[in-house]
Amino acid sequence: MSFDEVFDVIVIGGGHAGCEAASAASRLGSQTALVTMNLDLIGQMSCNPAIGGIAKGHLVREIDALGGVMGRVADRAGIQFRLLNRSRGRAVQSPRAQADRSMYRKEMRKTLEGTPNLHLRQGMVMELVLRQGRMAGIRLQDGRKFGAPAVVISTGTFLNGVVHTGRQTYKAGRAGEPSSIELAEALKRLGFPVGRLKTGTPPRLDGRTIEWSAFEPQPPDEVPVPFSFATDEIAQAQLNCYVGYTSPGVHAAIRQNLHLSPLYSGQIRGIGPRYCPSIEDKVVKFADKDRHQLFLEPEGHDTNEVYLNGFSTSLPAELQQELIRLIPGLEVARIIRPGYAIEYDFVDPRELGPDLQTNRVVGLFHAGQINGTTGYEEAACQGLIAGINAALAVQGRPRFRVRREESYIGVLIDDLINQGVDEPYRVFTSRAENRLSLRYDNADERLESYGRNLGLVGDFDWERFTQRRDRLARLGKILEGTRLKRSDAAYAAISAKLGVDLGDSVTLAQLGKRSGVGVDIIRSILPAEKLPGITDSEIESGLADSLYAGYIEAQRLNVQRVHQHDSLQIRPDFIFRGLSGLSHEMVERFERARPLTFGQARRIPGLTPAALSTLLIHLSVCDHPA
Amino acid sequence: MDTIVALGTPAGRSAIGVIRLSGPDSLSIARSIVGENYFKPEPSQPVLRSIKGTASNSILDRALLTFFPGPNSYTGEDLVEISCHGSPIVLRQVIDLTLGLGARPAGPGEFTLRALSNGKMNLTQAEAIRDLINAQTEAAAQQALRQMMGELSSRLRRPQQALIHTIVQLESALEFVEDDLPELKRQDIVGELTEVASDLHNLASTFEVGHLLRDGVRVTIVGRPNVGKSSLFNKLLAFERAIVTEVPGTTRDTLTERLGLDGIPILLTDTAGLRESSDRIESIGVERTRQAMAEADLLVVVLDGSEDLRAEDLSALSQAKSARHIVAINKSDVASFDTLEKSRPSYEAGSVNVSAVTGFGLETLRAAILEPFVAGDSPNAGFLITDARHYDLLLRARNEVQSSWELLQRGASEELVLIGLHNGLRFLGQITGETSTDEILSEIFATFCIGK
Ligand SMILES: Cc1cc2nc3c(=O)[nH]c(=O)nc-3n(C[C@H](O)[C@H](O)[C@H](O)COP(=O)(O)OP(=O)(O)OC[C@H]3O[C@@H](n4cnc5c(N)ncnc54)[C@H](O)[C@@H]3O)c2cc1C
Ligand SMILES: Nc1nc2c(ncn2[C@@H]2O[C@H](COP(=O)(O)OP(=O)(O)O)[C@@H](O)[C@H]2O)c(=O)[nH]1
Ligand SMILES: [Mg+2]
Repeated sequence: MSFDEVFDVIVIGGGHAGCEAASAASRLGSQTALVTMNLDLIGQMSCNPAIGGIAKGHLVREIDALGGVMGRVADRAGIQFRLLNRSRGRAVQSPRAQADRSMYRKEMRKTLEGTPNLHLRQGMVMELVLRQGRMAGIRLQDGRKFGAPAVVISTGTFLNGVVHTGRQTYKAGRAGEPSSIELAEALKRLGFPVGRLKTGTPPRLDGRTIEWSAFEPQPPDEVPVPFSFATDEIAQAQLNCYVGYTSPGVHAAIRQNLHLSPLYSGQIRGIGPRYCPSIEDKVVKFADKDRHQLFLEPEGHDTNEVYLNGFSTSLPAELQQELIRLIPGLEVARIIRPGYAIEYDFVDPRELGPDLQTNRVVGLFHAGQINGTTGYEEAACQGLIAGINAALAVQGRPRFRVRREESYIGVLIDDLINQGVDEPYRVFTSRAENRLSLRYDNADERLESYGRNLGLVGDFDWERFTQRRDRLARLGKILEGTRLKRSDAAYAAISAKLGVDLGDSVTLAQLGKRSGVGVDIIRSILPAEKLPGITDSEIESGLADSLYAGYIEAQRLNVQRVHQHDSLQIRPDFIFRGLSGLSHEMVERFERARPLTFGQARRIPGLTPAALSTLLIHLSVCDHPA
Repeated sequence: MDTIVALGTPAGRSAIGVIRLSGPDSLSIARSIVGENYFKPEPSQPVLRSIKGTASNSILDRALLTFFPGPNSYTGEDLVEISCHGSPIVLRQVIDLTLGLGARPAGPGEFTLRALSNGKMNLTQAEAIRDLINAQTEAAAQQALRQMMGELSSRLRRPQQALIHTIVQLESALEFVEDDLPELKRQDIVGELTEVASDLHNLASTFEVGHLLRDGVRVTIVGRPNVGKSSLFNKLLAFERAIVTEVPGTTRDTLTERLGLDGIPILLTDTAGLRESSDRIESIGVERTRQAMAEADLLVVVLDGSEDLRAEDLSALSQAKSARHIVAINKSDVASFDTLEKSRPSYEAGSVNVSAVTGFGLETLRAAILEPFVAGDSPNAGFLITDARHYDLLLRARNEVQSSWELLQRGASEELVLIGLHNGLRFLGQITGETSTDEILSEIFATFCIGK
């Protein structure tokens, strides 16, 4: 077979995963094609027009530190920035922004078009071409054939996608876009285990028909916290969102019409995320709540369209219109696009290695919702890792991976490839054992040098990072070296404010271990000339370092103790049945999970400590032959 | 790498008991327990030292200490072996001492594991050890143990559920800020954690008695010569173990036998009479008696009720005073016993009238011996922690919960409060099986309506 065009890397699908993958691979010097159904919909946000949030904002920062593009694009398209959890500790704060949906697409496309080695191609991919079990290329619906030794599939919700609104169902990857049937079948033919998941989206309203005064405005932060470490200022004018509530009338009407919901009629079999329930689910499962919270989110500066967050539904379109009108403030509101549910195929992510390459086909990578995740940020970070590794593979360089101890990206990938998914997977801070270390504000300290070594972080950004790192180091020394004494002018006020006696003399680093010590207190002790060039946000980072240091050290020791054997390797052909003393059930659990290290084995659910110590002893023996 | 400690010889009575310390702090812990800052014996050369207890001037035991510096030791790390006298009580006290100095109880097979990971063992040796561990697993399948485990798990259910409940509240509060969740009631959580900590504490404190049930309760019979100690000893054992004569000072050495009272293992010791003696053998016997008294969990002070109290009786009573003890007034069959009854003082520890000859009062005596060890109507009625590992985990869990409780009181942010709660849950999980992140998330989604 001869190819019409030949590339190093082909990325299928221009969603959030695909954009990062294509951008990374091409910037690593690989000739990269991004093939997607519709070039005008590159970077489309399928659901809510927002990026970030708790844990998701952490991911965006990590993507940015590694040299990815999502943070920069979101900063350019963000129309309402808010730092969440401001009242809580730095480790669980996270940036979030409403984005102008069309501006986000435009900025993403512009970014990709400005990337050397990156070639945009429109078309529907039907078939994967393999040679001797390795990736060789792809075939498009229009007959073209592209060759490449590495292919990243990031087709989101499109594989065998079926949209439901009431009893209406039709094949689609998103409302109004065709679903990807042949590619889904091609993956099954290769033997990939495929499951079915489901998600949904709420209706969009005509902003001119909303009684805005009935809703509570939710203003943006006065000083926006951007996603990217490279962003100095947010250029977009910032807007309000609005908060409202459903009413008992809405709930009664939903209950009466439950039989029309494909979720409850048995029409939908895919498993949906429990943390993104439809309004039908909320009304049924939390029957005692007489109202549910709604957010009205503007879709952008140049549009009347408003996103009704909290009202995801797959009820019939005409019923959606009736229900909306029972919501206080939406009595005369009109729906522009109805909500719907979508069922789609995903491929079991346990098929993947930590580089996101499939174990089945050399050169084939999967990233994004195809792996059973949900969310733009989750998709984007996988795209970045897959794109990097696709390029490295082609260039014959060692693969890149991030560990779960050092990043949310590591947590996500480790969870996916070891545990698999049985509902759409989303990040939560509680999934990270090292939550206190994985802060949004230190993502650069954790990861930027990786991005630099790979070649994704340019000179300008690296310079900016090293200066910031130096400032933080200097600040750390100042906090360690400055003492607040009882005789100091500021002492009494600070002691009173914290409501404790601070002793005769404390360093500012020690002071920082107390909750409630913020920038204002530090600035009241250290005049600006003692902190040259150091921003408020950097002071907060410095204080967070002090606050968490003791806990992190204690945790590190704990982890060291528990995990000291984690790196012991288990051969892929290891015979678990051969371990005497293991019950049949334990053998089965091992064999199903096929762990490659003791660390992976340790995380297999349902194993007894005795089973693990039996394995451990055996592994230690094999590791140290006499 | 931390330092681990465990009994190297089987639990229970034996002539000597070997405690092993392995890890970087082994030598410094050994220094602390012998009270010598520069203690560093020649490698592999046993040296005799006194082991100092925590109370000032108290000596737990005279023991042989042997230092095996790494890598030339069994585990490949610095290793100290302490050979004590075989009493389980002494051994436990010495182990407790090392725990207080930062050692940690070794997990099953952990010494071997360290040896393996340091390349100190070959395949055949390791296979043998593995079989040993498997044997333990099989033993674990025994009905009795299963019941005990089941009962402990079920007693832990309440604190565990309460911990999960508080974790769910706190995790949700920080993870789902944009959702319309009920406001966090910090004071309610403080209350809930107070209960968890006290549940765990109560359970852990049953170990004080519980470990005796496993290792055996040491009951030592003391008193001046000829009051009938050996006779009572034989009577309790129900066979003629000790030689009984009318000659004072017949018993010259301590004698110990095992017996079960109501299923509780008892290590009953008969001693030489307490009196000053010029006879060299007898005075060694008296010295041994003193040692047996120090090791005992319970002393039975025997008096001869047919005679007036002598100075030696008062001396025996006063030596027993600071320990847990009861008084047995013997020879109730003799006529003078009753006439002396009125003039007899009453004893705070409680007394029992008995006759080693007729067997009168023996049932009462048995009950009085057991009484301090069978838990009364505490919340854990009848249930006791007998395993040191469980005890250790319960204490650790309690401490973690306690530190969270304090942080909560001080108004710390949720992510800090949660550390101790997760750790606590993990420690309990090492007894009952772990609670996964997914289970907690499931609980969150079942409790709150999350998601837009
Ligand atoms: C209805 C709906 C509701 C959702 N609700 C939520 C929610 O509530 N919360 C949440 O976090 N996330 C939600 N999501 C998920 C979120 O949109 C996705 O997680 C994210 O967009 C996935 O990114 P991706 O890059 O993997 O795929 P997508 O963004 O879906 O992009 C896939 C891309 O692949 C292209 N493509 C597919 N097949 C082919 C082919 N054969 N040839 C060429 N191109 C192809 C498509 O044209 C598209 O550009 C929802 C998605 C949908 C559709
Ligand atoms: N009448 C009577 N004699 C007893 C009793 N108990 C012990 N004796 C006698 O007291 C003497 C000393 O007993 P022994 O048990 O050796 O006392 P010990 O020195 O305390 O061990 C022996 O002659 C026993 O037979 C008792 O209950 N009644
Ligand atoms: Mg005697």
